[in-house]
Amino acid sequence: MLTVTKEQKGNALHVTFSGTIEENVNFGSLIGPAPAELFITLKDVPRINSVGVKTWIKYFESVKANGTKITYVGCSSAIVEQINLISNFTCGGTVESIYAPYSCTVCKCELLSLFKIEDLKKLNFEMPESKCVKCGGKAIFDDIPEEYLSFFVR
Amino acid sequence: MISNRQEDQDFAGEVATVAGLSLTCCPDPKIGVEKIAAEEPAVILVDGETQESYLAFEAAIQEKIGLFSEKVNPNFIHFISTEGLEKVQYLIQSPLFGHFILRTFKDNAKEAGQHYGKIVKAIVEDKIFGLENFFKPGTKVQSVKLVVTSQKPDAVEAVKNYLMAAKFQSRIATVISNAVDELLMNAMFDAPVDNLGKPQFSLTSRATVIKLEGKSGVEMKIAYDGKYIGISVIDQFGSLDKAKLMSHISKIYRDEEYKVKSTAAGAGIGLATVFRSGGSFFFASEAQERTEVTVYFKRSENFREFKDQFRFLSTQFKF
Repeated sequence: MLTVTKEQKGNALHVTFSGTIEENVNFGSLIGPAPAELFITLKDVPRINSVGVKTWIKYFESVKANGTKITYVGCSSAIVEQINLISNFTCGGTVESIYAPYSCTVCKCELLSLFKIEDLKKLNFEMPESKCVKCGGKAIFDDIPEEYLSFFVR
Repeated sequence: MISNRQEDQDFAGEVATVAGLSLTCCPDPKIGVEKIAAEEPAVILVDGETQESYLAFEAAIQEKIGLFSEKVNPNFIHFISTEGLEKVQYLIQSPLFGHFILRTFKDNAKEAGQHYGKIVKAIVEDKIFGLENFFKPGTKVQSVKLVVTSQKPDAVEAVKNYLMAAKFQSRIATVISNAVDELLMNAMFDAPVDNLGKPQFSLTSRATVIKLEGKSGVEMKIAYDGKYIGISVIDQFGSLDKAKLMSHISKIYRDEEYKVKSTAAGAGIGLATVFRSGGSFFFASEAQERTEVTVYFKRSENFREFKDQFRFLSTQFKF
């Protein structure tokens, strides 16, 4: 189930999604009237199914058509995968930042690192190592950079 | 086995051993097809790497046997390619297409062959229905019957919890549970057809609560042997359309826009995502009787390995 928290800052509406996006989601009733500017935080969206994708595109395409400027913030891996797979998933919006999955080479735990898109582009698909917050071991990017960041070269 | 690649022959050797078959390797498609005509093998593995190599095979089949002869049942033909499904449309659209093996086995041809050998063994022995047939004897198979569509979210969550308890990475558990979500949705809303074969719920919202009684019953089975997990979703309609299935599963939306169809309630993109995420498929369908769709995933320590795992897509259609 998807829950939404909203905060109005001037002309911009900041919305945070939390939960799975699937067939029961109604973005229109969750978000309300489309504002001039819409910031969507997606860190806590672990999963989106195919009907959720369809609902997403239908809603955000209509919002974009009404002139709303859309920015996606802190996209989870589930959202990044859809951005990579479907050329029009962002519906003309801007991806500001994404979470990159890491895994510790010592204790095997899963970690997330937030990257701004402009910083990631400078890395040229060379994802930096990180440090495990649990054991201090070396953490490495846990995906295939050319695939996880393939939307850069579209 | 029609291939001149050593890795294919190593793979086929293991498949043959597990399936209890003898292996004959022919690098040349013409000679291979002559053997097929003479010996009528139970399983045919073919290098389908390029359109040229496929066309050479197809031409030899046409010349020696005939494309639509009973001697070349697509259920027994397994194409191997290094390229993903979306790049081998010549195989997907072929009248000879039955199975696709992604050549990601590299140095693990033996292990991949042992895994795939179980699938081939089940096919050869005509045991295509029943998850237990694809696992080593004694592997526990758990079954859940869903009686109403609104149970889907709980069933998907239960699968995720099962995987987390089995120490799967949470991202991997999420990918697998999403695959189950798609299979259940297909069984609940896409499989049901009326007596004339017309889809019953193609225009029905996937959020609709429908009782799954009698023929509409949907069953889910899970088996895990410590290395591989298999999850089957079973419906009683046997309405799976091979051409539609392959079109959906091999479609790419990276280069073209995904058009939201208002005339259909389903999205048609679920299965393609599953295969690209590392999952293997086994589709078994007996017309008007039963469809059983199984996804397999190998347990991996990290997502990189998981995504890069050996995988296949098998179809078995009985009419």
